[in-house]
Amino acid sequence: MILELDRLTHRYGDELVIEDVSFGLNKGELVALLGPSGCGKTTIVQTIAGHVQPTAGQVLLRDRDVTREPPENRHVGVVFQQSTLYPHMTVSKNVAYGLKARGIEPNQLDERVSQYLELVDLSEQRTAYPSELSGGQQRRVELARALAPEPDVLLLDEPLSALDRQLRTQLREEIARIQNKTGVTTLFVTHDQEEAMALADRLIVINDGHVSGSGTPRTLYESPPTPFVASFLGRSNVFPAVIASQRPLTLRVGHQELVLPNRETTASVGARVMCHVRPPDLALSSTGPTGGNDFAHSLTGEVVSVADVGCRYDVRIKSISGDAFVVEASNSPPEPGEMVTVELPRDQITIFKSKNQDYDSTIDVPETEL
Amino acid sequence: MSLISRSRSQQSDRLPELLIPALLGALVLIYFAIPFVAFLARTGAANTITELSTPKAQVAIRNSLLTAPISTLIATVFGVPLAYVLARTSFVGKRFIEALVILPLIIPPVVGGAMILTAIGRFTPIGSAAAAIGISLTNSLIGVVLAQTFVAAPFVIITARAGFGAVDERLEHASRSLGYGPLSTFWNVSLPLARGAIIAGIILTFARAIGEFGATMMVAYNPRTMPTRIWVDFIAGGIDAIVPLALALLGITLVVLTAVQWFGRVPTVIDQ
Repeated sequence: MILELDRLTHRYGDELVIEDVSFGLNKGELVALLGPSGCGKTTIVQTIAGHVQPTAGQVLLRDRDVTREPPENRHVGVVFQQSTLYPHMTVSKNVAYGLKARGIEPNQLDERVSQYLELVDLSEQRTAYPSELSGGQQRRVELARALAPEPDVLLLDEPLSALDRQLRTQLREEIARIQNKTGVTTLFVTHDQEEAMALADRLIVINDGHVSGSGTPRTLYESPPTPFVASFLGRSNVFPAVIASQRPLTLRVGHQELVLPNRETTASVGARVMCHVRPPDLALSSTGPTGGNDFAHSLTGEVVSVADVGCRYDVRIKSISGDAFVVEASNSPPEPGEMVTVELPRDQITIFKSKNQDYDSTIDVPETEL
Repeated sequence: MSLISRSRSQQSDRLPELLIPALLGALVLIYFAIPFVAFLARTGAANTITELSTPKAQVAIRNSLLTAPISTLIATVFGVPLAYVLARTSFVGKRFIEALVILPLIIPPVVGGAMILTAIGRFTPIGSAAAAIGISLTNSLIGVVLAQTFVAAPFVIITARAGFGAVDERLEHASRSLGYGPLSTFWNVSLPLARGAIIAGIILTFARAIGEFGATMMVAYNPRTMPTRIWVDFIAGGIDAIVPLALALLGITLVVLTAVQWFGRVPTVIDQ
């Protein structure tokens, strides 16, 4: 492994910022460290780079313990959210800066600078000062500067978050291309799940200073290991239920029962659980005000609102058990106030055991993403 | 074209709201200018040259030109690192250190001079130890430097500290990750980026040092510097007697200010 974090813990004063964070990066991997802002991502990056000394745990680079080594001895490239280009140096001086420290021969210096400026497609700008470049160009110079000394690991800490959406997508593809070409082991830190899923081979989801799940984007999306991953990666409908019986697994939701054949859970009968289901996996069928509870895998509810988001309708429904659902409808959505049946997919319901009896049943559906 | 005319009209739109502050500011400017003009009006060119070539005046000019740069140098060499530490760290008792830096600014220079005397005067342990090896800390050029440094050093410390504070710490982090140790990072990144503020601080310190009178008078009334010479001449001969030296002092300060700004390419002290 190129990079390995072993039970990394850090506190600022009394505040525990990260706790027992362990993960590793294999050579050439592009891994996204994903989590909401304030979850401890930046502290993890700072610890890997050596700008923060962890309270406990180890950082290993190429199997060498570097936890107590200063940043300059680590060979880690860093790109931050804000530009850190040196305003008093030209583009080529900025790129050459890291090369000089690594003792590159002066005759090879120019060649290497040109090579990396070419990689980021900025050969023309070598004599320009950073202030003369656009935001996207500055990002690319930073990439070139971080990559030129050929670091063991490249840390990208929210590198695209300060850019507008279009440029962000463009540069994201640029990063993928550059990473692919150089093969540099990369840790890409972001709070944007779409960005992380589009770019990374593997995701590490951080919540509240802990690793909440890790795996390929598809695995994490389809079978989230924790409620947090379920609601953070893509949109999720959450509703509480009680295990009514096993074999077949039957959930009691309000006064209705859901039968999920071929499903098992370790929760015992009578236990409270939280169920997650993705909006696209739900289907709607109209129902009269009185009935429509024939399906063992459907819930009745009233349409609260309908939002037209261009490519589809987001239909918000309040079930008679009091839970809120968002259902995606492609055409002819129901009217608000109408009673409808929400058909639940038997195989796509993820069940989590409740940690406590007062599990917050407020629904947390992330903002609409197109 | 339309852009330019719009920005012009926006400027004139702002005039009424700036009228009151502008008027108040103008009063201060007038108050600055009147004594200056009145004083210059008493100048006779021939008289000035003759007066400045007297041995007494020459000695004073030489002493000032010798001591003020040394004081400025000492204040810079020791003050800039202190400024960097204050800008980059927080520790228990930092407020106390900051208060200590400002102290020489807020106590009257003459009191500062008295304090220096109580610390290093001839009959104090430090003063007598120095005297024993033939170094006189008071009534000497060393005494002048000590007094000037005490009074003038806070300027460079405070301004440089603000300059370092404005340098994003992440620029230093990037330098460290690119393979540079803390010292070379300071030299390659922090220092060049805070240069404008540091130069402004050096100018202020120099101007304060070369014009220092109160503390110098207490610590080293002799040998005479330009300000102490001016005082002595004023007691003996009134205003007209001091015009030549005062003009020379003003001239030196202006030349230094212009030169440093020119080489440092700093727009104005106040812009910093």
